[in-house]
Amino acid sequence: MFKLFRKTFPKQGDVLSRPIEQAAAEKTQADMDALFVAAAYDDSAAERTGYSNYSYWRSTLRVFLKNRMAVFLLFVLAFLVLFTFIQPLLPGQYEATRIINHPITGKQMSNVSPSFTTVMTTAPAGTEFIITPYDGDPAWCAVTNVLQTIQRREVMTVTEYLGDWVKVEYEGQEGYVINDFTTKLKLADDPEAVPYEMHSNFPVSLFTSPQDYTNDGTELFARAEDLTISEDGTTATANKEVELRVLPSTQAFWFGTNNAGQDLWALVWSGTRTSLFIGFVVALFEALIGILVGVLWGYVRQTDRIITEIYNVVDNVPNTIVLILISYIMRPGISTIVFAMSLTRWAGMARFIRNQIVIIRDRDYNLASRCLGTATPRIIVRNLLPYLVSVIMLRMALAIPGAIGSEVFITYIGLGLPVSLPSLGNLINVGRKLISTSQSYQLTFPTIVLSIVTISFYIIGNVFADAADPKNHV
Amino acid sequence: MIKYVLKRLGAALITLILILSVVFVLVRQMPIEGYFDNFDKLDESVIRARLTQMGLTDPLPVQLKNFFLDLLRGDLGESARYSVGASISDIIAAKAPLSIYLGLMSMGLSLALGIPLGAAMARSKAKFWDKFGTVFIVFVNAVPAAVYYILLQSYGSRALGISMLFDRTDPATWILPVFSMSLGNIAYYAMWLRRYMVDEMNSDYVKLARAKGVTSRTITMRHVFRNAFVPMIQYIPSAVLYTVMGSIYIESLYSIPGMGGLLVDAIKRQDNPLVQALVMIFSCIGVVSLLLGDLLMVVIDPRISFAKKEGAR
Repeated sequence: MFKLFRKTFPKQGDVLSRPIEQAAAEKTQADMDALFVAAAYDDSAAERTGYSNYSYWRSTLRVFLKNRMAVFLLFVLAFLVLFTFIQPLLPGQYEATRIINHPITGKQMSNVSPSFTTVMTTAPAGTEFIITPYDGDPAWCAVTNVLQTIQRREVMTVTEYLGDWVKVEYEGQEGYVINDFTTKLKLADDPEAVPYEMHSNFPVSLFTSPQDYTNDGTELFARAEDLTISEDGTTATANKEVELRVLPSTQAFWFGTNNAGQDLWALVWSGTRTSLFIGFVVALFEALIGILVGVLWGYVRQTDRIITEIYNVVDNVPNTIVLILISYIMRPGISTIVFAMSLTRWAGMARFIRNQIVIIRDRDYNLASRCLGTATPRIIVRNLLPYLVSVIMLRMALAIPGAIGSEVFITYIGLGLPVSLPSLGNLINVGRKLISTSQSYQLTFPTIVLSIVTISFYIIGNVFADAADPKNHV
Repeated sequence: MIKYVLKRLGAALITLILILSVVFVLVRQMPIEGYFDNFDKLDESVIRARLTQMGLTDPLPVQLKNFFLDLLRGDLGESARYSVGASISDIIAAKAPLSIYLGLMSMGLSLALGIPLGAAMARSKAKFWDKFGTVFIVFVNAVPAAVYYILLQSYGSRALGISMLFDRTDPATWILPVFSMSLGNIAYYAMWLRRYMVDEMNSDYVKLARAKGVTSRTITMRHVFRNAFVPMIQYIPSAVLYTVMGSIYIESLYSIPGMGGLLVDAIKRQDNPLVQALVMIFSCIGVVSLLLGDLLMVVIDPRISFAKKEGAR
């Protein structure tokens, strides 16, 4: 404060020769400039005058940022939400609902295990392949090392026994046959005493080398430049170590594929998008309806009785039952689920807001506002609602995991979204049946993403509510 | 107090009638296929005759009146698809005991585990039990029940070496369903008991007791725990609701022949009368448990009065 008076007055004579009015204006301006210098903000000095630069939101943010875990989860969540929107725009992505077929057999690429590459295996230089005609991209060749398929009960001559493989001669062709539970070869009692004749009760494949270069019996794909193709175009030799891929493409199935041959990576992100959308919309409706009803209920005395009765009825019916009944009656879809959940969720929010408003509506500062003629909407928006921000945010944050969970539940019952609309509930419901098989990854990936989303919202919501609570502002 | 009880009972009855009417009217909006087990094969006149016979062509108020009259006689109608022509009261009577039994066991278990966990968390603030409990509570509250039920069923049955499905005669198969059903309530009890106990611990009388030299064990057990336990009573109705909702999912997951699994089956078969009856029963459980909770509070804590105070607002 004392700083303001340190500057001395300018000399009067300097300005006397100018026109009076201008001089007067300039003088005041000059005086202002000369007399006052903006003081730097000083905490202790400010305290003496009773001024504080306390800002509710800055303080909330500071308390929130103190919680490392919540900040970390906020980043994770922000990244995840952003990624669900970016993912379809990234290069090399499959469409979520596209069924991927094998280019030659037309079979769906079902249950391909998760992998960062489409390379299934590699074959050393010199491996001989049989080429299947493939009229797609000429840069790729469809190859196997299967010479032919030997029908069941056909007799072949064993010429060498290698344990997992058996070298046989069949109709003048030499090749290798797998010896395991899938082929059930009827070998001699002493399998090493070659040559002898044997058969299998199943059709078996005759391979050029003791290696299975097929994808469960279908063709693999190699780059044409890595192969030396014979003149008639039916066989080829690897001219260096060659990568054999399940598809003529380098777009990998990071999360594998599902039973229908859809890319699980794309499905999971598309499903997360759907589920988050449902969550956000439900949270929004809960906040909108809850605040509206709560404010009416608490502020307008005439509505108290009727809304209390409605609340008692709504509160008495278990939410899940309402969800089941509405989904049962209406056509399955996002709007049904959102409607069914919003039908009951507002009640909790409304009751809380009503209770708070009843407590603070007649406090002195509100009374003063009313006496000064402040309009009711303004009192509600400026005086009352800021008190409730922390709880409104908390309930909205918790509504999202709640809605996602309800969606999973209702899908299990068979009243959820149609399968054509991927959602986390759909994916988990499909994966649930595969949990004890080798395809359990179809449950793992959606579950992990879902858990990250719900746990993050839960923790962030709670930490934010604590941070927004003025009691925790020191 | 008697006046309050009567008033509360009357309100519950009106709520019940309202809910039943709404459910009844809503189910009437369903396509009529849900009343026939072989709808596609029937011709128009037969359908019409059957509908008339079931009273479904009457005006809605008449149907509603007939429904309530039947209800008073304990008649919930007949199943249309799930078990054709069987009386719904009989179907449910056969299934209800197992559900009730499981529900009570799970509520007992959640009290037996949730209360000690909450007390342990309050006593060891910021130490192992508190941290363990917090992680547990966050997990149970944040991860959808539908997900951890599945994981528990699959990995739990593998770890314990028991069947994934329920078998009434094999006690080992009771463990997982009952435990899964109580998880939500364990977390709930633990969370609230911890909060109340921490509040009590900071109160003046506890400080005085400590100053007098009362051992911390005695303080916890004699004073803090007892006082913190009273407000817990109000969570019993929500615990009932939690258990009932859990049972719908759990019973169907473990193929338990109870009422919750029946609801899922009825929905999958689109059996309108059965769905209607079950939805009504579950709503009734909700109303009754809230009523019981309120009455229990009045009995246990005489300070609490639900009668309107004059000039309160």
